[in-house]
Amino acid sequence: MKEIDELFLPGDLRYTETHEWLRNDNGNVTIGINDYAQDQLGDIVFVELPEVGNTFEKGEEFGTLESVKAVSEIYLPVSGEIVAVNDALEETPELVNMEPYNNGWLVEVKPDEPDEIDTLMTSGEYLEMLEGEE
Amino acid sequence: MNKKEIKKTPLHTWHMENGANMALFGGYEMPLWYSSGAKREHLAVLSTAGMFDTSHMAVIMVEGPAARHLLQACFTKNLDACTGRNKTPLVAGRCTYGAFLDDLGHVRDDAIISQVASEHYMIVVNAGMGGSISRHLKDQADWPDIEIRDCTDGVGKMDIQGPMSARILARIIRDPETVFDRMVYFSFKGFFDDTSPLSDTVRLLDGTPVMLSRTGYTGEFGFEIFTHPDTIERAWKMALEAGRDFDLTVCGLAARDSLRTGAVLPLSHQDIGSWPFLNNPWSFALPFNEDKTDFTKRFIGDEALKHSTTPEYTYSFAGFDLRKVSHGDSTIVTDPDGTQIGVVLTCVTDMAIGRTEGKIYSVSSPDRPEGFNPKGLACGFVKVTKELSVGDTVELKDGKRTIKVAITDDIRPHRTANRAIGDMMPDAD
Repeated sequence: MKEIDELFLPGDLRYTETHEWLRNDNGNVTIGINDYAQDQLGDIVFVELPEVGNTFEKGEEFGTLESVKAVSEIYLPVSGEIVAVNDALEETPELVNMEPYNNGWLVEVKPDEPDEIDTLMTSGEYLEMLEGEE
Repeated sequence: MNKKEIKKTPLHTWHMENGANMALFGGYEMPLWYSSGAKREHLAVLSTAGMFDTSHMAVIMVEGPAARHLLQACFTKNLDACTGRNKTPLVAGRCTYGAFLDDLGHVRDDAIISQVASEHYMIVVNAGMGGSISRHLKDQADWPDIEIRDCTDGVGKMDIQGPMSARILARIIRDPETVFDRMVYFSFKGFFDDTSPLSDTVRLLDGTPVMLSRTGYTGEFGFEIFTHPDTIERAWKMALEAGRDFDLTVCGLAARDSLRTGAVLPLSHQDIGSWPFLNNPWSFALPFNEDKTDFTKRFIGDEALKHSTTPEYTYSFAGFDLRKVSHGDSTIVTDPDGTQIGVVLTCVTDMAIGRTEGKIYSVSSPDRPEGFNPKGLACGFVKVTKELSVGDTVELKDGKRTIKVAITDDIRPHRTANRAIGDMMPDAD
């Protein structure tokens, strides 16, 4: 289990209370789970993602991550339309563990309100939240 | 449970220092997996070797002229007819698996009993069960000439499991050829207490006496090693060092859970528990006569089992891909008509198996198809109110997900647990 000071939380991303990360890519938002979440879940063995074109409300379940431990729902941190899903995870779900911020991304979303991402936590705020839970 | 009551094994600090993801199990804080991940740990036990801290298991000693008599009265297995194909009596150096039941035929716990000497038995029960099972035995023993001791905190235990385990052990024990000679499945040698005459039989290279048992709970070839708690960390590190050449992987409870499920072994208080110990895959733990019409001895719970009318059946199952459901009372089993017929006791993924043209192979199946690279299959146990046959399909529903599974009479094929040591050390190094 990683100690809090061992977690990798890139400074250019935004974070949610449910341990997703978001990156603003020219108006679209790329979403994944962060280092803390992948460490807690253990080996990810199966990923279920939505179809491109599906729309979701903020906080709605958009897929599941199955680890050796459990099947966990993943929630969309912003409302919007799915414009891309990471098909590589079908064959190699372990990318979520190995490279959570790069090749282990989950979906790309066209947000209904592009500014919404700015209301989410910075890496510093997210770290403070984790430390508060200790 | 407050923090003061959480128990730790003697290897707890080692686990913390080596990146284990810890969780509570049976009152102990135990490793679930290490940084290598549960999948790799599971596969290591099939391909090379895995090492588990199992010091949370409880150990009870029963000694005295009436010891066997007491165990015969309390344990499901008939100790006078339990060893080998010919069902010969349990003797010193051999062990056997069974369960302790209550008057209703429900399971108090399952156990492995090892006969240490003619009037000395060692019982290994599950984590946290040392107190209650030893009290239960004392309640039944109304004779003066019997001593029952819960030795849980006085014994450390580690398991090395997998095809390379004998080669690894051969590098850390004195005179391995003699130790391994005629050491069959469910037998043991040595003892961890220096005062025992057996303690000279198996010693680590540094002189530490250990009890080495050809048992384990993974379904694969391997050993359980019992030591004094003060010496287990040394033994653990010696094995790790010796295991470097054999890709020995430290494993947590998640891998132990998926391995034992694939091997159709029950988890006490989950797959067996407060219902009659009957109509399940573990009838070999009951002392049935040849035509299964009666028991060959009396034991606590026997009458309840004989007259049980509860229509409950426990079956093993395997899914068609790796997706699993959660287990517990809220996860239901339905028949093809959609009628609820039971609950899911265990559902995990055995990551070493897959189906090819309907048949299940494991990564160690000699007849596995070329290029076989399985992703795993969901598997486990269901308890249902309807009699089912091998091959019947049922659905498991946990509110989020529904999966189709088939009732099986086995799960992971070609397991190695009872292979001869000679087979596993073709050219001893």
